[in-house]
Amino acid sequence: MPTLTINGMTVDVPPGTTILEAAKDVGVEIPHYCYHPKLSIAGNCRMCLVEVEKYPKLQTACSTVVSDGMVVRADTEKVRKAVTGVLELMLIHHPIDCPICDQAGECGLQNYYMKFGLHKSRYALEDKVHKKKVQDIGGQIVLDAERCILCSRCVRFLTEVTGTRELDFFSRGDHSEIAIFPGRPLDNNYTGNLADICPVGALTSKDFRFKCRVWFLKAFDSICTGCSKGCNVDAHYKGDILYRLKPRWNDAVNQAWMCDVGRLTYKAMNEARLLTPFVCEEGARKVAAWGSLLPEVAFRLKAAADRGGPDRVAVIASPQSSNEELYLLRRLATELLGTKNLAFTHRVAGDGFSDDFLIQADKNPNTRGARLLGIPDGAAFDALVARIASGGIDALLVFGNVLGSLSEEETAALLANVPFVAQVGTNEGPVSKAATAVLPSASVSERGGTFTNHAGRVQRFRFGFPPRGKAMNPVEILVSMGNRLGAGWTFAGEAAVFNAVAGTEAPFAGMSYDSIGMFGQEIKG
Amino acid sequence: MEKVLTAHFANERYRRMDTYRQYGGYDALKKAIAMTPEAIIDEVKKANLRGRGGAGFPAGVKWGFLPKDLSRPRVLVVNADEGEPGTFKDRLIMSRGPHLLVEGIAIACYALMTHKAYIYIRGEFVREAKILDEAVAEAYAAGFLGKDLLGSGFDLDVTVHRGAGAYICGEETSTINSLEGKRGWPRLKPPFPASVGAFGLPTIVNNVETIADIPWIVTHGGDTFAALGVEKNGGTRLIGVSGAVNRPGVYELSAAANLKDVIYNVAGGLRDGKKLKAVIPGGSSTPVLRANEIDVTFDIESMAKIGTMSGTSGIIVIPEGTCMVRALSVLMNFYAHESCGQCTPCREGTGWLKKLVGRIEAGEGRPGDVELILDLCDNMMGRTICALADAAVMPAQSFIWKFREEFDRHIGEKKCPYGNRF
Amino acid sequence: MSVAFSETGRAEFERLLTRYPDRKAAILPALYLAQKEFGYVSDEAIVYIAGLVGTSPAEIEGVATFYTMYNRRPVGKYHVQICRNISCSLLGAEHLIEHVSKKLGVRPGETTPDGKFTLAKVECLGSCGTAPVMQVNDEYHENLTVESIDRILDQLP
Repeated sequence: MPTLTINGMTVDVPPGTTILEAAKDVGVEIPHYCYHPKLSIAGNCRMCLVEVEKYPKLQTACSTVVSDGMVVRADTEKVRKAVTGVLELMLIHHPIDCPICDQAGECGLQNYYMKFGLHKSRYALEDKVHKKKVQDIGGQIVLDAERCILCSRCVRFLTEVTGTRELDFFSRGDHSEIAIFPGRPLDNNYTGNLADICPVGALTSKDFRFKCRVWFLKAFDSICTGCSKGCNVDAHYKGDILYRLKPRWNDAVNQAWMCDVGRLTYKAMNEARLLTPFVCEEGARKVAAWGSLLPEVAFRLKAAADRGGPDRVAVIASPQSSNEELYLLRRLATELLGTKNLAFTHRVAGDGFSDDFLIQADKNPNTRGARLLGIPDGAAFDALVARIASGGIDALLVFGNVLGSLSEEETAALLANVPFVAQVGTNEGPVSKAATAVLPSASVSERGGTFTNHAGRVQRFRFGFPPRGKAMNPVEILVSMGNRLGAGWTFAGEAAVFNAVAGTEAPFAGMSYDSIGMFGQEIKG
Repeated sequence: MEKVLTAHFANERYRRMDTYRQYGGYDALKKAIAMTPEAIIDEVKKANLRGRGGAGFPAGVKWGFLPKDLSRPRVLVVNADEGEPGTFKDRLIMSRGPHLLVEGIAIACYALMTHKAYIYIRGEFVREAKILDEAVAEAYAAGFLGKDLLGSGFDLDVTVHRGAGAYICGEETSTINSLEGKRGWPRLKPPFPASVGAFGLPTIVNNVETIADIPWIVTHGGDTFAALGVEKNGGTRLIGVSGAVNRPGVYELSAAANLKDVIYNVAGGLRDGKKLKAVIPGGSSTPVLRANEIDVTFDIESMAKIGTMSGTSGIIVIPEGTCMVRALSVLMNFYAHESCGQCTPCREGTGWLKKLVGRIEAGEGRPGDVELILDLCDNMMGRTICALADAAVMPAQSFIWKFREEFDRHIGEKKCPYGNRF
Repeated sequence: MSVAFSETGRAEFERLLTRYPDRKAAILPALYLAQKEFGYVSDEAIVYIAGLVGTSPAEIEGVATFYTMYNRRPVGKYHVQICRNISCSLLGAEHLIEHVSKKLGVRPGETTPDGKFTLAKVECLGSCGTAPVMQVNDEYHENLTVESIDRILDQLP
């Protein structure tokens, strides 16, 4: 293992490590723009220049591999002057857009200017080279070529990750400009990542444009619910509204990326939410209180089972629910209501598009979890639907906002066969329009739990902010309902439920929130 | 004096195979085929053949960087992208003696066990590219290229590949990228072309003149070639003289030539009865010399000792009455135009230099502008992926250091004392 | 509207592919071919070459706009490119450029209204020994004077 001495600290590094990577590992921050751990090395921004003993010229830390005994200084006056010099050159044409630029607050130029610059401009305003601003280049991206520092991260991403190369450098010298070929906009499912990797405000998100200054946003770890990939995300919010999702790094799942559809899944947590418990009487909605509605639902389900037998009551689970919720729901259905009429479906209306990168055909985050926890789907679901359609069900508990790929009309027609339908759901949809009683559920950002992704990785999503309106955590709903049915559950929260899952469900044996940690844990077998 | 290259350049037919062979052409190749590759490389090392493209790197040493194992095929790229202002010698070789180059390529490739060679010729040299095409075709027809060279079992393919207008493509890794069909961006080094070059293969890039010297070296021996020059700089060089002289042109002289002698005797001295003001000795990227600094041997080491370079041996003669600020402005325009734009200091710095010097020339310079230029030069020099930034900095610094009062006058008087004219 | 090489052009392109181990190495020669066949490197030519080589139009555009000799817009029948670098400037290139500009009635970078001449200032053409130098289309004209430039331009059909 080669030994590197950097700023006086000595460390052993794996062969092939660059100075920049090694420095990160010992907490030395070497400024850089063009380097990105998931992209090839470009070495063009020249910000990461460091002094290396025995080399007459400063070397770029990003591209210099550590050789045994190498001595590097990143903290000398010579290095500081070099970095300031490069930064000054990078800023001479940069437009003074900060007041209107979305990148402000998370901008590489701002950050390094405060650390290494703080100089007055020596460049005449009238000499600035002007380039095309505010271009809609397709996908989720707006391009402002004037702000671009030509680090080439975007070109490398589109060449090495998506293989589509819609962006490239045109012209040369200080008239070089990033652009798309006219009439050939971004055309891939990962355009949102460009705004993440662009260190400045040249490539920004259309969706996020002008919506919020980033220093007002808070963040929490979550999991994307757009498909069964379970890309790890950082959710950004202010108050109780989500503003955007950004990929969170996890080499085992999504590296540093997420898809465009997934990025917009936060909208569903903001819009068209079910926020008040209500019942539907004679076509009109009447607000209800949790304190009375929840016992009422439990009572109606139990009564239907007592009267006509467990066969007359049914539960439809959702692959959008967490492992913890599905476990409780299964027990409620099978142990407390004693029914075999329990199923779910992963089918959704619309496309089942998938690719060989991140996007899975299954558009639910926890199909795998539902199956592992013993909830049947497929033929079992179809049979249950048939039973409902033939009028064989008196009381139905539905989790979720839709019934598979059934349309609003089909859902209404189907549920018209059931005298009492209770829904636990997050958003208005076909089910809420046809349900008798609606119990509003907290969204993924308003509760915690785990999902099991398509590859069997159990991952945590974290509590972000308290449920909006009168929505309630489905774990609470289920524990409360279960206890009304005589369960005697004492689970205090998701963690306790997960411990129970790990205790009795073989695939999760031995797991805990600790063992899942930040990057998830694969199930057994 | 012995002429290694230009002995028969006056004969317009020398570029044809038949005439070339009348003068002993391709005898060197025949001799080389009977030698071992190691023996050929040895002669080149003994010859002290320094690269003729401007950097002066010893050719024999560069050849030695190729990996020993032959599992990956090698490539030879001949750098015919002659773009350094003041340099026009390779054009002469390619138009008058193309077979020198073709024969040199064949010998070099045989010595380097390389089966593919590309002549990367600047796009503007349309006529020279056609001449090369014809010479290459003649060589194929005569069995000096193609399959089984002269029955040796050695195969070699040569392709003439035209550039399209970019000075930066004279930088060897930029040449390679351009050959591969990319924008002419230089590459990070290491890895060096000898390990990862064209199409990812071990590659040697050599200047036209360097390769054209090879046949003579094989015929007469490396030691003989070395003896024509000085200790660390063997052989003859094609020295170009341009600017305000009576006899501009290319002259084949020993590496031991004296710069003052070249200007005043070989090139006939200053024209129009003018006096000498300054000399850019080795192509525009080399630091300028005052008129009283040119009595020096024009070899690589001697020029380095006085703080400049012999570079491409392209001597630019500047007469009295020339505004040095205006001359520098021409050069700053050039480097800004040619910067590939890949890395920050060169991309932005060359543009800024152009604007600063242009403003001073236009009488709009501000106090502190000269200091700003020098500070900017410090921020560019040695900070970039390739040497284009250095090439812009060296004229800027040296013009200011040696002709400072002209810059100060422009700024102080708010006008060009020479009337904004050459 | 799309374009395509003529049969000869296509044959030449296929021949080019055999000279290099990688398809993309044919991009620079292909752009010259396109310029010859279509008059200039048009948007359609870029898209066509991208298809032939198997990459995005953006990549081809990046290459075409890097090099000065690919014309992304049509130029006049005669592209008059006068060197403005140091050796030529020392011997009067500035004056020649001014003269031609007045003679043709266009500024450098512009084309005469009849489409016959495009005037351009270019960097070193590599013939400094015969300065001042200009290139008209493919041909070099050297040792220029005002008189010789007039003669050359006036004689162009």
